[in-house]
Amino acid sequence: MSGATLFSVSFDIGSAILRGIASVFPMPESGWITNPDVILGLSAVIFAAILLAASMLNTILLIWWERKLLGRIMDRRGAMHVGYAGLLQNFADGLKLFRKNTVQPREADSLGFYSGPVTYMVTSLIIFGILPISSGWNGGALPLTLLLALAIFSFAPLFIFVSAWSSNNKYSLMGGMRSAAQMIAYEVPILLAVVAVVIVSGSFDLTTIVYEQQNYWFWGPLFVALIVFVAGMLAEMERIPFDLPEAEAELVEGWNTEYGGMLFAFFMLADYLRALIGSILVVLLFLGGWTLPTWVPSGLTTFPLAGIFWFMVKTYAVFGLFVWIRASLPRVRTDQLLRVGWNRMIPLSLLAVFLAAVLVTVKCLPVFGCVPSAGGM
Amino acid sequence: MSEMWINMGPQHPMTHGLWNLRVKLDGEIVVDVDPEIGYLHRGIEKISEDRHYNEVITLMDRCCYVAGFSWEHLYILAAEEALHLAPPERAEYLRVLCDEFQRIGSHLMWYAAFVQDIGLMSPFLYGMRDRDLVLDLYQSYTGARMTYEYMRVGGVRNDLPPGFSAEARQVLDWLSRRFDEYDQLTLGSDIFRKRCDNLGILKANDCVAHGVTGPMLRSAGVKRDLRKDRPYSAYDRVEFDVAVADGADVTARYLVRLEEMRQAVRILRQVLDWLDKNPGPVMAEELPRWLGAPYAPIGREGYLLKRNFPKGVGFSAVEEPHGEAVAYVVNEGGEHPYRVKFRSPVFSNISAARKYLIGYHVADIPPIMGSVDICIGEVDR
Amino acid sequence: MQPDDLSRHLAPILGDRLIAVEPFPETAGRVRFRREGALDLFRAMRDDLGFRHFSTVAGIDWVDHREAVYVLWSDDAKQYVLLSVDLPAGDPRIESASGIWPSANWHEREAWEMVDLNFDHHPDLRHLLMPDGYTFHPLLRSFKLHEPEELEVKARHV
Repeated sequence: MSGATLFSVSFDIGSAILRGIASVFPMPESGWITNPDVILGLSAVIFAAILLAASMLNTILLIWWERKLLGRIMDRRGAMHVGYAGLLQNFADGLKLFRKNTVQPREADSLGFYSGPVTYMVTSLIIFGILPISSGWNGGALPLTLLLALAIFSFAPLFIFVSAWSSNNKYSLMGGMRSAAQMIAYEVPILLAVVAVVIVSGSFDLTTIVYEQQNYWFWGPLFVALIVFVAGMLAEMERIPFDLPEAEAELVEGWNTEYGGMLFAFFMLADYLRALIGSILVVLLFLGGWTLPTWVPSGLTTFPLAGIFWFMVKTYAVFGLFVWIRASLPRVRTDQLLRVGWNRMIPLSLLAVFLAAVLVTVKCLPVFGCVPSAGGM
Repeated sequence: MSEMWINMGPQHPMTHGLWNLRVKLDGEIVVDVDPEIGYLHRGIEKISEDRHYNEVITLMDRCCYVAGFSWEHLYILAAEEALHLAPPERAEYLRVLCDEFQRIGSHLMWYAAFVQDIGLMSPFLYGMRDRDLVLDLYQSYTGARMTYEYMRVGGVRNDLPPGFSAEARQVLDWLSRRFDEYDQLTLGSDIFRKRCDNLGILKANDCVAHGVTGPMLRSAGVKRDLRKDRPYSAYDRVEFDVAVADGADVTARYLVRLEEMRQAVRILRQVLDWLDKNPGPVMAEELPRWLGAPYAPIGREGYLLKRNFPKGVGFSAVEEPHGEAVAYVVNEGGEHPYRVKFRSPVFSNISAARKYLIGYHVADIPPIMGSVDICIGEVDR
Repeated sequence: MQPDDLSRHLAPILGDRLIAVEPFPETAGRVRFRREGALDLFRAMRDDLGFRHFSTVAGIDWVDHREAVYVLWSDDAKQYVLLSVDLPAGDPRIESASGIWPSANWHEREAWEMVDLNFDHHPDLRHLLMPDGYTFHPLLRSFKLHEPEELEVKARHV
């Protein structure tokens, strides 16, 4: 792993900028420019800017990846014309949406109508500030990052419902209600599946969870929890087969029916941001994060930014799985979805918690192998 | 939520055409529906009264944009009866060839739209991809992919191009392999079965009372198929089975349509065999050139009536991909038909919507209406 | 089923309200009747003769009078039958068949708005293809194409 961390990079950039300013506009040694708060504040802004750029770039790349993969599964090619293999197609689409007029329905409530997409997007972006990408590449070693990430993640139904309600459209309202019902129903199994991970790893800190997996990734011993988590994430991300809130066949576009132009782009981007976060969480919790198994030749893990590289590879692979599911499954119905959520997923997640407890107690299971040190429990 | 009316249409992803389904919802449950049609009404019956007999064929293609051949066939049969003409045998086989390819094309279009309605994305593209092969075949002998204007009063416009038979057989082989793949993608999926089983049930009695025909009727176990019961053209000379299912639900309609496609492949193989062995004329010989010309001159003078046909009334019924279509053509001896009346199967199938929609979820409306296979062009005419 | 069978069966029920049963190619025949006998004829066709499928009703404007042609199908006989009735142009009224065959509902609505045939006791005689408030009957011979008409079309309210 390289020695640089995200924060040290932004600190370096920040101090370089300040030095540049100081050389152009000479000022006294004791001026504001040498104040450590200024340097720290500037580096925090740069830190956020880098994160924003990286997450947006990845989101757009994720859309491209989905379009290409979906296209291949469907026996076509996907975007081909803008940029190499359509890489720039999404930027073109974004530019088009940016230039479009935003139409607000006459009877819509302005405050909710405009604040909904913005808050939805912002809350999704905040999570990136606390997700560790590689060793040192995180926003700071908070002890409860996992809990914080999931807490912010579950704000979404509120904003969706606000924007759906304030659009003053029956389809939007129904989509919003479905979305709220669905997300609340699947919040519980997701948290329980996470509890299983926490029991085994003994920490709420994502970085610690990743390092606990250095000997053995959690997907094997916690397979039930993985299933529950992935299914729950599919519901949280509102992707087929659980995309009922925006089921286009009956609800036109669900809760964002009335949105166009940049506001729609906000929703679209936030959806993919959430998909990215979901994939990242799966990688962090179950697939060993940025680490590789110890038997892998060391050449694969020592090149610069190897951690980030492998992390991205895993994230895109997980998202590829979501795309594959989307391409091959039909959509379920609301009542079926909720029944599965309450009647199947919650017992299954309880089983996952139980299995995790057994694993920690027994330490080694014949099929799944041994659990690393089970720290802290 | 209290009860509310919502408009599904005229622009709505469920409608597959331009119509409006007004739905009264109690929460997510449908308590009342009221279909509204007429958005695509072009007055085809009225325009036909101002046109020569062959000019009406153009309108027939526009009646249903996925089943143009069947509607041409329907009109041609009635017009020939009204004008007291008979086509040569080869033309009859060619018409069956058109009809059955059309049935496959239409059902593939239906398959693509229907799986899209329940959220299956890939099979939508597979259906469209395979339909394209069929469209290529149409193009090779009619020159058009959608509006063919191929059949003529007294025969068909032209014979098949050389090499068509081999090409068509290749397509049929490919298609008959694909049908099993379709089944795996849909019937093999638990979610599909959960969505479609026992959905939109319309029992045989209700079907008959409400004039519902076609695959919907056969899915309720009624073995009525005009190709078998009242053979027209060359249907009495080919072997096939009538596809029947007894679930009366969405899955049953799916099964019937898939089976119909398989039977169509079977019919097409026999028709191709016959066409290979029996060359001959494709237009009735005694016809004046204006009525049967392959490239009839455009414009009124080119069509001037050189021969007086005795008055007559033509009646025909055809098993269209969507169901039973009926035409009634009155010939009062002039250049134009005096009155043309068409009966569209989807018209009646939609009119029974109250019977098969009420009581289900709003999310069930797209699969149910999808299983009806709606073509608004022929409903509004 | 032949035209003779039809007339043998229908004559006692309809009496002089039955005009004739004519042969018609590829169908069981064409029954010509007076409008007073409509309901009795419909009921007899459905219940006694097994014509349970109502296919369509075609309205034809013969300028001096109008004709309604009903098309029925029997699953037992596997045959169509046509019922034809002449209606005076000034008073084109006839009993609705939608009480006998529910499927007649929409077909009669269409015939009413297109050819101005008035169906008595129809449950729901509204405009179907034309917008509400449309006062013309397009399939009448007096309705000419290519002539600009001043149409006042009320928008549909939801």
